[in-house]
Amino acid sequence: MYREKRKRSIFEIMSEYMENLEALADEMLESAAPEQPSWDTQSCCLEPLCNILVTADEVVVTADLPYAQPEKVEVEAVGENVIEISAKMRHNVRFDDFGISHRKGEFSSLRSRVPIPVPVETERMKISFKRGILEIHLPRKKGYIIKIE
Amino acid sequence: MSEAVRIVEKKPIPSGAIMLQGLPDVGLVGLIATSYIISELDLDEIAYVDSDLLPPIVVLHQGLPHAPLRIYGNEDLIAAISEVAVPVKALHPVMRKLVDWAESKKVKMIMSIGGLPVQNRQDIKEPKVFGAGSSEDSLKLLREKGLEILNEGFIVGPQALIMRYCTERKLTAIALLTQSFYNYPDPEASAVAIKKFGEITDHKIDVSDLLEKGEEIRLRARDIMRRTQSELTKMKKSQEYDLPLYV
Repeated sequence: MYREKRKRSIFEIMSEYMENLEALADEMLESAAPEQPSWDTQSCCLEPLCNILVTADEVVVTADLPYAQPEKVEVEAVGENVIEISAKMRHNVRFDDFGISHRKGEFSSLRSRVPIPVPVETERMKISFKRGILEIHLPRKKGYIIKIE
Repeated sequence: MSEAVRIVEKKPIPSGAIMLQGLPDVGLVGLIATSYIISELDLDEIAYVDSDLLPPIVVLHQGLPHAPLRIYGNEDLIAAISEVAVPVKALHPVMRKLVDWAESKKVKMIMSIGGLPVQNRQDIKEPKVFGAGSSEDSLKLLREKGLEILNEGFIVGPQALIMRYCTERKLTAIALLTQSFYNYPDPEASAVAIKKFGEITDHKIDVSDLLEKGEEIRLRARDIMRRTQSELTKMKKSQEYDLPLYV
């Protein structure tokens, strides 16, 4: 046992330790948030796929909105750094349409609340909708410049 | 100890066929394309993959249970798909087994269809298909079919492992990588990849039905895309954006 331990370099031990830590962190993350369905029969909403990209100047939020009516896509700033995306679909979708008969429910819109990871100016956001993808550009809040002496 | 991964054959497996791989990856390009090819060519379920490393799931179709990772085929084409995201921990043993099995069935070539994520995907009308190959011969074939080759850079995921194991065994492997969304299902990119697949393998596949059902597929594929994205993060798929260092 002792001899076996001596054979391993400090780097191998550290690497194994980090791998174990990462695996533990993954497990904790997965178990901390109970998994939820991507649909809600009470509000008749499906949750769309969203993505957040943070650059030096802005945060770009996109959402995939299949069946969305372009004129009925809405983006609302709710709170400091949360935006809500909602879109009415061209036609309702039921569980039956997915071949599922053991659940009942009908969905008429797509809706998601997206937390923005850095401070942004929500009042200056710019929105476009192209090929079923909603794109929101949120300028990042500016700090102040410290001059180099 | 039992085998980590086993392939259970349900029907006789053809010898000398082309094998197609479309496991869930960026934009689900390969999965959507391969599923469509299976349906259009009316391929039969010939085998499935069983492993304790895969999640404890069966998929019900018309009331009957099926393994999520299945292999379809006819006399000249074999196609592997998965209806669930393959956990990163299972990826190495599953891909190694698939390549071993393909070699034992004297497969002529393993083709992977996948996505090549681009940030401005919604501005691209006709996504471009790039090619990667395991040997000079496969690169020659790709060039003859008018594909631009990925010369430098990283490939991460199922097609990366297929390339690696096929190179080891001197098997021919090619990957068709189509510009796509990273984490949104991309049936349009799949349609472009199917056309290239058809040109390379002499199959005529009409993609109009796939394009017509694009929105429906995007809606239905949200859950598997979400779970696939979680696995892509774990396998550090973003490394494909990295610039390689050669000294």
